[in-house]
Amino acid sequence: MKKDTLLSVSELKTYFFMESGAVPSVHGVSFEVKQGETVAIVGESGCGKSVTSLSIMGLVSSPGKIVGGDIRFHGQDLTTISEKEYRKLRGNDLSMIFQEPLTSLNPLFTIGSQLDEVILLHQQVTKEEARQKGIEMLKKVGIPRAEQVYRSYPHQLSGGMRQRVMIAMALACEPKLLIADEPTTALDVTIQAQILQLMRKLVKDNNTAIMLITHDLGVVAEMADTVIVMYAGQVVEQADVFTLFAAPAHPYTQGLLASTPKIQTIEEELQSIEGTVPTQETMPKGCRFFPRCPHASEQCVQNQPSLLKIGGGQLVRCWLFDAKEAASG
Amino acid sequence: MASYIFKRLGEMIPVLLIISFIVFALVFVAGNPVALMLPEDASQEDIDQLTASLGLDQPFLVQYGKYLFHLVQGEFGESFRYNTSALPLVLERLPATLELAVAALVLAVTMAIPLGIWSATKQNSPVDLLAAGGSVIGKAMPNFWLGIMLILIFSVMLGWFPVSGRGTLGHLVLPALTLATGLAAEITRLLRSSMIEILNQDYIRTARSKGMREGMVVYKHAFRNSLIPLVTVVALQTSTVVGGTLITETVFSWPGLGQLLIQAVHTRDMAIVQACVFVIAVLVIFMNLVADVLYRLLDPRIKYE
Ligand SMILES: Nc1ncnc2c1ncn2[C@@H]1O[C@H](COP(=O)(O)OP(=O)(O)O)[C@@H](O)[C@H]1O
Ligand code: SF4
Ligand SMILES: [Mg+2]
Repeated sequence: MKKDTLLSVSELKTYFFMESGAVPSVHGVSFEVKQGETVAIVGESGCGKSVTSLSIMGLVSSPGKIVGGDIRFHGQDLTTISEKEYRKLRGNDLSMIFQEPLTSLNPLFTIGSQLDEVILLHQQVTKEEARQKGIEMLKKVGIPRAEQVYRSYPHQLSGGMRQRVMIAMALACEPKLLIADEPTTALDVTIQAQILQLMRKLVKDNNTAIMLITHDLGVVAEMADTVIVMYAGQVVEQADVFTLFAAPAHPYTQGLLASTPKIQTIEEELQSIEGTVPTQETMPKGCRFFPRCPHASEQCVQNQPSLLKIGGGQLVRCWLFDAKEAASG
Repeated sequence: MASYIFKRLGEMIPVLLIISFIVFALVFVAGNPVALMLPEDASQEDIDQLTASLGLDQPFLVQYGKYLFHLVQGEFGESFRYNTSALPLVLERLPATLELAVAALVLAVTMAIPLGIWSATKQNSPVDLLAAGGSVIGKAMPNFWLGIMLILIFSVMLGWFPVSGRGTLGHLVLPALTLATGLAAEITRLLRSSMIEILNQDYIRTARSKGMREGMVVYKHAFRNSLIPLVTVVALQTSTVVGGTLITETVFSWPGLGQLLIQAVHTRDMAIVQACVFVIAVLVIFMNLVADVLYRLLDPRIKYE
């Protein structure tokens, strides 16, 4: 399997320009996704995971705007390409599944017509060929009676089935990168497992890279090669999945894991980390985590730490490591 | 679908019965029209005689029963002014009114759809602000005033269109525009707000994530969804339009139902009043039925019953 870099996000800044002022939802996020790799992004609600995904898709809508950084996909900077070039990528090499399976399909069109749409947009095929391909995709994502579902309307399907349809749509043009924004959060547990298994199988077949956004550390352990931990619009730690679970470096990551004896979701366990994510008004000027951090020092209050390599490809944004580096170096 | 329409048509019967009762009761309350039918120097005897011969001295329910009996045969009684049966007179006027109402509806919808969509997709742009201002003014202008203004400007001053009457397409322009203005304002406002709401839906984001052109996203995915509230508002506005024809037809001497009705009210030609009101009611009910059928065609989530 080739391990070339597929996506490289650097210093991405996406702000929402509200009446009360600019809200920096994504504030200098950098990471890479290699071909065929699964990168998990974890973090509490509101830390900027969805906005990061939408920024990559070029679908941040007003009042949101990418104000800095670049997003390289196959070496091409997506923040500078034309809307027309972007449209050629969306749904094709670059596709996305959303958190809301119940509302992500248009209620007035059949599953088939919504599925064919993406195929017809990106492939030189006749309507009949698109139909064949659509039904084949429905079969691939494990939908029984695919021909019948093809003719159904979204309201006639369960949430799990609709999410399978979304996956079929996202994978119909064999994307290089699939962004899955909490694809199973809205589904019940048994369905979740099925959907994840399905995604894993399908991407293995095509060497598709996945950017998997999730709340569920169990899912991370099972699916991810690399894990990115986000906090308040920034990446605070990045490591391969084994390192992250064995030797979490950032106090926030440690907090997440320490209180996770079994598979649990971040929302549940966060109650054990005191406090809440800072808002725009309460954003600390130093380390964004310091109000909740057991190791906070004067330095943390005053200055923002930067994201540093601490060996083995692990990256951490924390003065504890900056200090060590300084001491040892 | 056919059975659904059939069922809904069946449901119209009790509604029509209620309407017939109300129409009859209103006329009954309005008093004895006999005095107006006879010369001013008619004796009380003559009046009593005519009253009796018309059956107007009988109890209310008996009169209503007779009225209903005739009504199911399409008989509303004779117009004493025209000395013929009322219903054919009314039906003769119906095409003119329908022509005006349909022209106004089509005009309103063709103005409102692009304006509403444009306002929604380019919020706070000059077009949006202009449409918003225009809507307020359009709704605020009463039909009779607007009609007179249009006549003054486009017929009297500029001489572009005839002042009144019916015949050519030119005759239709000003009355249709008069009726359409308020309607267009209402539809534009509704379409703008429903499009804004729909464009924020998750399925619109999905459509965009497929790489679809924004124009296609707006027209195929968003506008299609906004047709449902659009049909509602147009159906609700039908009665307003029909009401508006009363005034507009009078202002433009448009030989339709509205003009006939107003004249009949003035002359207490009750057979015609009843027939007019009844026909108008049937029209409004029918439009509601059309709207209901359209919903079912537009929205697969609604089941036929
Ligand atoms: N449409 C929007 N308008 C204004 N602010 C938004 C919008 N979408 C997201 N945000 C802001 O961006 C922050 C990050 O949101 P999001 O990326 O959705 O978080 P999550 O990590 O839960 O996916 C939120 O706290 C919110 O303040
Ligand atoms: S920089 Fe300081 S406050 Fe922030 S996580 Fe590290 S130790 Fe805690
Ligand atoms: Mg999210």
